[in-house]
Amino acid sequence: MIELVDVHKYFGHNEVLKGIDLKVKQGEVIVVIGPSGSGKSTMLRCINKLEDVTKGHIYIDGQDITDPKNDINALRQKVGMVFQSFNLFPHLTALQNVTIAPVRVQKVDRRQAEDKGRELLARVGLAGKEDFFPSKLSGGQQQRVAIARALAMEPEVMLFDEVTSALDPELVKEVLDVMKNLALGGMTMVCVTHEMGFGREVGTRAIFMDEGVIMEENIPSELFAHPRNKRTQAFLGKVLAQ
Amino acid sequence: MSFLTSISNWLDSIPVIHQFASPKILASVFPFLLEGAKLTILFAVLGELFGIPLGLLAAVFKLSKLKVLRALSTIYVDFFRGTPLLVQLYIGLFALPIAFPVIQKVPDFTFYGGVAVLAVNSGAYVAEIFRAGIESIHKGQMEAARSLGFSYLKAMWYVIIPQTFRRVLPPLTNEFIALLKDTALLSALAITELAMKARYLSSWKANVSPFMGAALIYLAMTIPLTRLVAYMEKRLAISD
Ligand SMILES: Nc1ncnc2c1ncn2[C@@H]1O[C@H](COP(=O)(O)OP(=O)(O)O)[C@@H](O)[C@H]1O
Ligand SMILES: [Mg+2]
Repeated sequence: MIELVDVHKYFGHNEVLKGIDLKVKQGEVIVVIGPSGSGKSTMLRCINKLEDVTKGHIYIDGQDITDPKNDINALRQKVGMVFQSFNLFPHLTALQNVTIAPVRVQKVDRRQAEDKGRELLARVGLAGKEDFFPSKLSGGQQQRVAIARALAMEPEVMLFDEVTSALDPELVKEVLDVMKNLALGGMTMVCVTHEMGFGREVGTRAIFMDEGVIMEENIPSELFAHPRNKRTQAFLGKVLAQ
Repeated sequence: MSFLTSISNWLDSIPVIHQFASPKILASVFPFLLEGAKLTILFAVLGELFGIPLGLLAAVFKLSKLKVLRALSTIYVDFFRGTPLLVQLYIGLFALPIAFPVIQKVPDFTFYGGVAVLAVNSGAYVAEIFRAGIESIHKGQMEAARSLGFSYLKAMWYVIIPQTFRRVLPPLTNEFIALLKDTALLSALAITELAMKARYLSSWKANVSPFMGAALIYLAMTIPLTRLVAYMEKRLAISD
């Protein structure tokens, strides 16, 4: 489904990804952990081509997104992305946020898009909030709209970049619950998150990244409980001590 | 009525007032000045109407990844902001028709040429307004749109530009005010907008009062707009 082959990414002379190899199969839920600045966001952003890789290849359904011949706008529709800072469109209501891409990009009939949009908002627990503008919603609600917005394009994979870390603690659960339901529904997901409980519960594989390389990977419960790599041990020690 | 007439007569008997703001002359030229004001408004509105899409396009070019588009935009903006409007009008309405005589065959070419020069001039200023507006939108907005499959231009059109409207409205209104006043330069092309009308009337009446009349009419148009800008800026400051 997604395959990263020897992906390198430089910002100027700063090598941020130093040869990432990763295969994500259909239905997998990958949990990515690692210290700040280790390249987790950059990796996700490369998968969605928000950043261009410097060297290496990324395949989505066998199509190389680093090949300029491939239609990046079409490929991006297969990959949904949810950001730490929500990035909802502030001039649009919750429902319009969810329908704008299907209507304007996929040319879905507006009625049909709205019906599906309402359904999606209900699925993330926001029935009745369709006509609210983002500024009138809590952080947790905004993030759930952002998830619904990404789902509206019917992506094959969803990327989550620390989607709960900007939220007040009491709002984290409502977002994680939505993600859990998605995972249980069979969605392929790559989640950068430090929510260990979530990772253990729905993750099929966990990855520890540090300094632009994947240091260790394992099933989440193993990686969290019995890290083998020294760096992983140190990192988990710090996270658990918080 | 007779009371007003006697005041007016008394004012007209004072030489300085008679020369600069004679009530009698103002009253008699006022309808003609309004005719000129109509043309002034028409030029300003048409200039702005075409200037806005032009400026928007130039702003998008300026922010493009393509060097050619950025260069085109820079040349355009630099030229029209860096040269006097009067010179631009001379080039557009005197020089170009000589170089390309077909232009002279266009009916009313002075009118359309005037509108065109005003539009491209205004567009250069509008471009900077939109560029600043677009740059003020958080880059996460473009990324979110692109991640949903929007092309760059579609993301601009449906996501970024609508968000700039509130922010660009006050400077765009300021630009309209400037353009409204700049239409007076059209008198150099013998277009009978407000300022030219005032000049004709002044020489006809051998009196400068028509200019005062024209000034009052300009003020009647610009002051409400200036107040509107101040109001919009205050609202914007509160909501930010
Ligand atoms: N646009 C950018 N320009 C330059 N450096 C960047 C940019 N984005 C990220 N970096 C750098 O890349 C490194 C990895 O960042 P990031 O992928 O955000 O890490 P993480 O998400 O793991 O915290 C950091 O050192 C960061 O400063
Ligand atoms: Mg990050």
